[in-house]
Amino acid sequence: MRLFTWWLRRALSAVVTLFLVSILIFAASRLMPGGFAEVVLGPFATPEQKAEVAAKYGLDESIVVQYWLWLTTALTGDFGISMISGEPVTTEFGLRLPVTAQLTLFGVVAAILIGVPLGVLTAVRAGGRRGGAALGRLASGLGVSVPEFVLGSIVVFLFSRYALGLTVGGYVPFGEDPGGNLRSMLLPAAVLSVFVVAVTARTTRDAVLNVLVEPYITAAIARGESPGSIVVRHVLRNASIPVVTVLTTVTAYLLGGAVIIEYLFNLPGVGTYIVQAVGRRDYAVVQAGVLLAAVVFIVMNMLTDAAAGVLDPRFGSAAKGRKR
Amino acid sequence: MTGWRKADWLTRSGLVCLAVLVLVTVVGTVFGIGGDPDAMVGPRLAPPGGEFLLGTDELGRSMLPRLFEGIGTTLLLSTVAVLVTAVLATLLGVAAGYYGGWLGEVVLRLVEVLYSFPTIVLAILVAAVVGPGQTATMCSIVLITIPLMTRVVRAAAVTVSERDYVTSAVISGAGWPRILVRHLLPNLSGTIAVQGTYALSVGILVEGGLSFLGFGVQPPQSSLGALIQQGSTYLLTAPWLVIVPGIVLIVAVLAINVFGDGLRDGLEPREARSLV
Amino acid sequence: MTPLLQIDDLVVDYASGGRTVRALDGAALTVEAGETVGVVGESGSGKSTLGSAIGGLLPGAAKVVSGAVRVDGDDVNSLRPTQLRALRRERLGYVFQEPIGSLDPTMRVGKQVELALRGRGTKADVLPHLERVRLRDPERVARSYPHQLSGGMAQRVAIALAMAGKPEILIADEPTAALDSQIREEVLGVIFSLAAESGTTILWLSHDLPAVAKRCSRVVVMYGGRVVESGSAGEVLAAPRHPYTAALVRAVPGELAEGERLVPIPGQPPVLDGPSEGCAFAPRCPDADDACAASRPPLVSVEQRDVLCHLAEETVGAGR
Repeated sequence: MRLFTWWLRRALSAVVTLFLVSILIFAASRLMPGGFAEVVLGPFATPEQKAEVAAKYGLDESIVVQYWLWLTTALTGDFGISMISGEPVTTEFGLRLPVTAQLTLFGVVAAILIGVPLGVLTAVRAGGRRGGAALGRLASGLGVSVPEFVLGSIVVFLFSRYALGLTVGGYVPFGEDPGGNLRSMLLPAAVLSVFVVAVTARTTRDAVLNVLVEPYITAAIARGESPGSIVVRHVLRNASIPVVTVLTTVTAYLLGGAVIIEYLFNLPGVGTYIVQAVGRRDYAVVQAGVLLAAVVFIVMNMLTDAAAGVLDPRFGSAAKGRKR
Repeated sequence: MTGWRKADWLTRSGLVCLAVLVLVTVVGTVFGIGGDPDAMVGPRLAPPGGEFLLGTDELGRSMLPRLFEGIGTTLLLSTVAVLVTAVLATLLGVAAGYYGGWLGEVVLRLVEVLYSFPTIVLAILVAAVVGPGQTATMCSIVLITIPLMTRVVRAAAVTVSERDYVTSAVISGAGWPRILVRHLLPNLSGTIAVQGTYALSVGILVEGGLSFLGFGVQPPQSSLGALIQQGSTYLLTAPWLVIVPGIVLIVAVLAINVFGDGLRDGLEPREARSLV
Repeated sequence: MTPLLQIDDLVVDYASGGRTVRALDGAALTVEAGETVGVVGESGSGKSTLGSAIGGLLPGAAKVVSGAVRVDGDDVNSLRPTQLRALRRERLGYVFQEPIGSLDPTMRVGKQVELALRGRGTKADVLPHLERVRLRDPERVARSYPHQLSGGMAQRVAIALAMAGKPEILIADEPTAALDSQIREEVLGVIFSLAAESGTTILWLSHDLPAVAKRCSRVVVMYGGRVVESGSAGEVLAAPRHPYTAALVRAVPGELAEGERLVPIPGQPPVLDGPSEGCAFAPRCPDADDACAASRPPLVSVEQRDVLCHLAEETVGAGR
């Protein structure tokens, strides 16, 4: 029952946050200098032409009315139409989602298959030798210190010169040509994975190190349990909450669009689309894109809490003391 | 200086790297080593070596002074932004952690709202509203780094404010400025310093990413991100235009991260035990 | 015949932040099977380090400089990892200070007992093990997570885990320090009766001299990383030979005749960074002379008592 009320409060709080986010997004999109009319009609448009365009897209209403209209229709799943293409915003995003989803999938799979084991391994080894700890720290720092645009640029350079069977740019949908799709997605996914894997490994390493100093680990060692058994039975679950948190956060951010990677490799994903829309003052697209990214993030946050509730039996009793 | 002796080789290397980077940049900029960064003095896209130590760019500008200016811009923008973040996050974090109540609720909500935006998208929105440039870059760094730092400071402030010496100071009638300056800040300074170093590395990355997408520092001013962005067009013919500032950027961020890790380990030592 | 536990001149250093602290400065101790030994000392005396060293459980920052720990003649520090694990699993049991903290917070108690029984029992044996430590509702406890238990219950579970393998030696490091005073006696009762049942030798590390003397057959007093006095419990308490032990006895409330004064020990226990040149207690010792500060005291055996003091022979029969 206590858990139920906690979740109710949690959900309400998420709704309030989302409401505030929507106001912020709307305000930001209207605060941008140079309106849609100028962008479409160019600098030499007459005031009459501008007024006509504004009326067509409802931009002549007061800002509060515009916001209210947007919010209420958005709640029904209608995010309006792109003022550039004239297509519904949902259709436009639907076209770009597969790219983003594929990148996200690659990134998260790499994080789970490489990042988590790497973090566990470097943490467990850190306790063994002196000096080994510093090397682990260096490795975990290196991955998160290499920006995507530097690594990506270098990869683009290397593979443009020595193709090695992989293509740079020239996205092909998976449905049309699975092989070609993989060839064009492998490099961006790899560059993206470096950062995602490093962040995951770093967080995992940190979480495991925090568990390794707990008295129950000493007690398990003192009972003669083997290192493998200690890691599997005692360390992993106790270190899992920060790891799950970083995984869900990374997933949320990737679904919001890996802007730089998409830009570098010329992929038609959600991220580049939002950035282009900002440049074109395509309000409906900007608002829908950022709002959906925020929704994904907030939902992921709640999933994290749900996972924490399953993973840590103290969660329910801690919730009552947890002031938010 | 006891901190220096206690630090391991990695933490020291991080600090030394950073100091060298700052020193070289300051000396290079002050003495104008390599000439005027904006003057078109040489052949276009000349490779490194000879007269132009790091080569020239597409307009025939020498890269060495442009690199000095770039490092200077990037470090200055990020540092100023992180200082702003540190001050704001401390005030907000203490307000939320020590005073709590409705003020705390408002602060936490604000933080959560900011947290919900994907970082680069947030930066681009800011750039679109403020207009691309240095102001947009700094605002973006502040908005991106403030949520995490506020949360951490708040958590630390909650712990500190439950300690006996704070309680006794409150009971003996100390006013809030005194409690803040005498009790809270000294005990939060370590946390703030560690978070500050991490925020600095994030700041440098944000500057780079934003300039790379064309929303950051505008030409002719150079920054590490702007240099990489301009160079990326000529990646196939003049790779050094990207590789040199790229390496400097990586070294700077790595040095800061490694130093931050060392600082944190020094403040809260964890002695992991061998499982064997 | 080899003694069950033999610690020879053990020297252990901790490296902490570029500086070295000597935790054990030539500690020596021999324990025969079936003894109940109370190791008494202030925090920083090295008793916890001694306890950890027996199972090869020293943290990464610690280094065995010299000396040896032998269990049944096996040198603990030269065992291979698998042998060391076998030693911990089959011959040693540990109970630590933090009762709830030493149980895995994400695993049900029953499962943890089952894990400790691996190879020695099945799921069906879990409840009997919990009953043996006199837990009132073993079925409920087995279903619980550690945070749902009280400190006393958690410590009983920890004892059940440590005693699951019927160890030859049980090392209890301040097992009651974190518990309420009313349940300390009960928990100690569980430890001593279980050990007696399975013929386990007890090494109880504590700072409480009278409590230890009440239950143990032998008392070992540690100071500055060395064992300074060792002898049968009653005698050590009644007639301490080492000035530090004597000071400890005088500092204990309730052990005095009416009208006598409770005397605190002046000064602070030492923090060594290398071998102490003289007697580590000399700066605080009321009877110290120049020799005490200059040379390390030798081990003197007087009247079935081992004492590490220059003045030990002079004080025989002095009725301290």
